Amino acid sequence: MEILKPAMAGTLESSDAQVTVEPGTDGIQLTLSSSVMNQYGRQIKATVLETLERLGVNNAQVTVVDKGALDCTLKARVECAVFRSCGQSAANIPWGGAVR
Amino acid sequence: MAYTLSEIRPDDQRNRKKLLALLEGEGITLDGNLDYTCGLFDENYQLVATGSTFGCTLRCFAVDHGHQGEGLLNQVVSHLMERQAEREILHQFVYTKCQSAKFFQDLGFYEIARVEGTLSFLENRRGGFASFCKQLEKDRRPGKSGAIVMNANPFTLGHQGLVERAAAECDTVHLFVLSEEASLVPFAVRWKLVTEGVAHLKNVICHPSGPYMISSATFPSYFLKDEQTVIAGHAKLDLALFVSIAQALGVTVRYVGEEPRSLVTGLYNQIMAQELPKAGIQCVEVPRLQAEGQVISASTVRQAIHDGRLEEIKDQLPQTTWDFFHSSQAQPVIDAIRGSAEVIHY
Repeated sequence: MEILKPAMAGTLESSDAQVTVEPGTDGIQLTLSSSVMNQYGRQIKATVLETLERLGVNNAQVTVVDKGALDCTLKARVECAVFRSCGQSAANIPWGGAVR
Repeated sequence: MAYTLSEIRPDDQRNRKKLLALLEGEGITLDGNLDYTCGLFDENYQLVATGSTFGCTLRCFAVDHGHQGEGLLNQVVSHLMERQAEREILHQFVYTKCQSAKFFQDLGFYEIARVEGTLSFLENRRGGFASFCKQLEKDRRPGKSGAIVMNANPFTLGHQGLVERAAAECDTVHLFVLSEEASLVPFAVRWKLVTEGVAHLKNVICHPSGPYMISSATFPSYFLKDEQTVIAGHAKLDLALFVSIAQALGVTVRYVGEEPRSLVTGLYNQIMAQELPKAGIQCVEVPRLQAEGQVISASTVRQAIHDGRLEEIKDQLPQTTWDFFHSSQAQPVIDAIRGSAEVIHY
């Protein structure tokens, strides 16, 4: 999927994550900050990249401000931000899949 | 405890009172120019936290001291950021007291400058300002470099004289044109008139000023009326950022036009003369050029255009600006100036 416009999902509250996606041209550029960076930084990064790959996003600037979100939360926030960024968030949301 | 988040409208007298009381209790003054304010209320409908936005900035945050440590700021910031994102503003800035900066650093904001003892300025891009400076560094030239920052609303002989003086005294002049769309003459036109007006000076490099110089983020009171203490705070912040930009470009001297009339620019120049030498940057105030015993000023030019007396100010404009205002492209700009009630910079 292509990122058409900037979009944001999630909050900065504890156990959540705020994900922002913006159009990009040079692959995935991920900026991650987390309150549990030392413990789970690599896992968070892997989850975000995996979700983007599953959605078929190849070019984007992605910013994640994590507040200790579980993997399922992270996935949901990334999906939501991506769906919002390509105008797919109004109806027939293919949760867990990709827009074809 | 359950909290409810809701907007506090400017005409909502009851909640407005609570808002002012909360801010006063936490030692914060409410800004005059805000475009959205929200509040977090507890079960008894007491206001416990608040935050506001203006343009691309988040500001006027306060959390009741009895409720600090509950993570309420996170809720308020999340709400405001989401709302800003809906308006497609993703590059966001925060003003806050120095001692509160660390809370925002936990929320994905990075400090770009601080005015010791007063305020800290943060953005939500890691290395945003650093990469802006790095981009500018490509235009760094050896020898003596000077800088000028101008709105050029529109470009007059006064502006041209200032640039000519700087170009004669320096090896390179970096000329920044305010890219904020908050003036009567749109940026595209100001940029065109400036670049054409300095085309004969080969050692002048023009730059759009971007979000870090006299923008609605760093210096909102330049564009909208505010009190002197507020202007002074904004000016100091703007100059703190300018010092970093100057270092990236190797600029050692900044030229400014003398300001006899405008309150905000006058104050800015005054603070500049105090602050820049501390960072090893010379500040040169150049007297205004005069035409027929009258100082040349863009405000006067706008007033003349507003009153339809364009012919009277021919001796205040360079040929390029004069030609532009007689071309068909100028009509929307002239209409905008005529339609505006306030054409003089306060």
